[in-house]
Amino acid sequence: MKKKIAVYKITFFLLLIVALVTALYLGAYDFSQSMIEIIGTYLRTGVHTPDSYVLIELRIPRILMAVLTGSALAISGTSLQGLFKNPLASPDLIGITSGAVLFAALTIVFGSTVMHLLPPFFRYALLSIMAFLGALLTMLFVYKMATSNGKTHILILLLSGVAITALTGAVTGFLTYISTEEELRNITFWSLGSLAGSNWWKVCLVFIVVAFGSIQLLRKGKTLNALMLGEKEAAHLGFDIEKNKRQIIVISSLMVGSVVAFNGTIGFIGLVIPYILRFVFNSNYNILLPLSMLLGAVVLLVADTISRLIVIPAELPIGILTAIMGAPIFISILINYKRKL
Amino acid sequence: MLQVHDLNFKARDRFLLKDIDLEINPGEFIAIVGPNGAGKSTLLSCIANEIKYSAGNFTFKHKDIKSYSKTDIPMHRAKFSQHQSHEINLKNDEIVLMGRYPYFHNTPDNNDLEIVKLWMQKTETHHLTDREYEQLSGGEKQRIHIARVFSQLENDIENKLLLLDEPLNNLDVAHQFKTLHLIKDFTRKQNSALVVLHDLNIASQFADKLILLNKGNIELFDKPEIVLTKERISRVYQYPCSITQHPVTQQSIILFG
Repeated sequence: MKKKIAVYKITFFLLLIVALVTALYLGAYDFSQSMIEIIGTYLRTGVHTPDSYVLIELRIPRILMAVLTGSALAISGTSLQGLFKNPLASPDLIGITSGAVLFAALTIVFGSTVMHLLPPFFRYALLSIMAFLGALLTMLFVYKMATSNGKTHILILLLSGVAITALTGAVTGFLTYISTEEELRNITFWSLGSLAGSNWWKVCLVFIVVAFGSIQLLRKGKTLNALMLGEKEAAHLGFDIEKNKRQIIVISSLMVGSVVAFNGTIGFIGLVIPYILRFVFNSNYNILLPLSMLLGAVVLLVADTISRLIVIPAELPIGILTAIMGAPIFISILINYKRKL
Repeated sequence: MLQVHDLNFKARDRFLLKDIDLEINPGEFIAIVGPNGAGKSTLLSCIANEIKYSAGNFTFKHKDIKSYSKTDIPMHRAKFSQHQSHEINLKNDEIVLMGRYPYFHNTPDNNDLEIVKLWMQKTETHHLTDREYEQLSGGEKQRIHIARVFSQLENDIENKLLLLDEPLNNLDVAHQFKTLHLIKDFTRKQNSALVVLHDLNIASQFADKLILLNKGNIELFDKPEIVLTKERISRVYQYPCSITQHPVTQQSIILFG
């Protein structure tokens, strides 16, 4: 079994490399030189040619953002499913994503004067902190709503998510109504998600959050496995359940929040990736957590590349693609779930 | 090794356990018996620190039980609960391996895997290693968890405490006796076991002492032959019984009705 997992890890990793290289070469813009020449020239001269601008300022940060976003959404989804002991508990379905969008939208519309005064890194940091707060508050709200005596009622959890999503819809609708032209473009892209706005500042910020968060979450495999026995049994195995729950809630909110702040609502990744992996590895979180990161990165990178290519020279919002892929899987999870009832 | 002083447990103004005093010595197999609602599981849960009790304290190996760290106590004490989760989407050996979680960080070493194998053999679940847990019968699931709990206490520490709440539920007769022998072997090594049992004859056959609980009080805590008298058992269970001799072993056995 151990060897088999190593094989999967390496396969997924190679897949990611292939996807990275492919994504680098594919796009609306045709390069006149080879990648290495373009980067070499830029490093020597320090001046952008059109080639080097597209490659270094647009395409590479975007690809990195896709990798970070995919792995962040997938590992938070896996952790939340483990925490709530239900395959439907993904960040978008329980409203975490919406909560983050709500706070980010409010920040953009009402904080625009302050935001323009800040240097880019702090501007983006403020936005992601607000999105994190939105995600965390929603998380605490749905958790308190749905949990009593250590048991989570999945129906209430999902309906709380519906309520939050409705509220976000109303508020973003209102903001669209009162906002200026530029703010409007910022807000609308959230409903469908897009990685088009990626730049190095955003990538750096998301990288810090994702690196920190995933190091923490990757260590939770044993805890999430033990939680399947029940909270009392897990406590007998030496796990501080309350502390672990708090950590998972805060870290997933942080990751989802910072990703949503820059890329909008990219649905279903947190739902679909763990679901696919469970077919092969059951629910062993020691395996699911690292593999979900890799597979999440691959899937989102492929989806983003398709979204760049499918309607050249324009592009399709990535949320449409993940929804087309995710919705049928969502329905099949529901069918499985119904059988168990 | 375990002393319980003045334990009281109240739920909504009603005492479920009242003024419990107990002393358990190393090497003792103690069965907790009594009618439904007598407080058997509650007593075990209190000793396992699963529920907050209103008064009383526990001394475990000369130290207050609360002074043990969360990561330390699993190596000294394990509990088998009456209700085990039926939906665990894992392979059986992965579940038994959870008993070793207190011992390793990320990857189990060979010793951990050997212990898992050993206890799956001892509980006769070895042939189920690669099967999915959710496909097992109730009794097989039960044995998986028994293996898990035993592998949790497989270490060099002396005087360990095993708490088992109705471990024989769902087990066929052969596996009931095999499980009891596993517990007995465990207590022979200067460890102690507190076991909630329903069958008084099984309890008297295996346990060194019985705790007879009745309405939250200890009716009597003594050797089986002293506890199990016709008058006392009829009164506590409110059902007539008689005591006779086993035709082969000559031990006393209780017959109800």
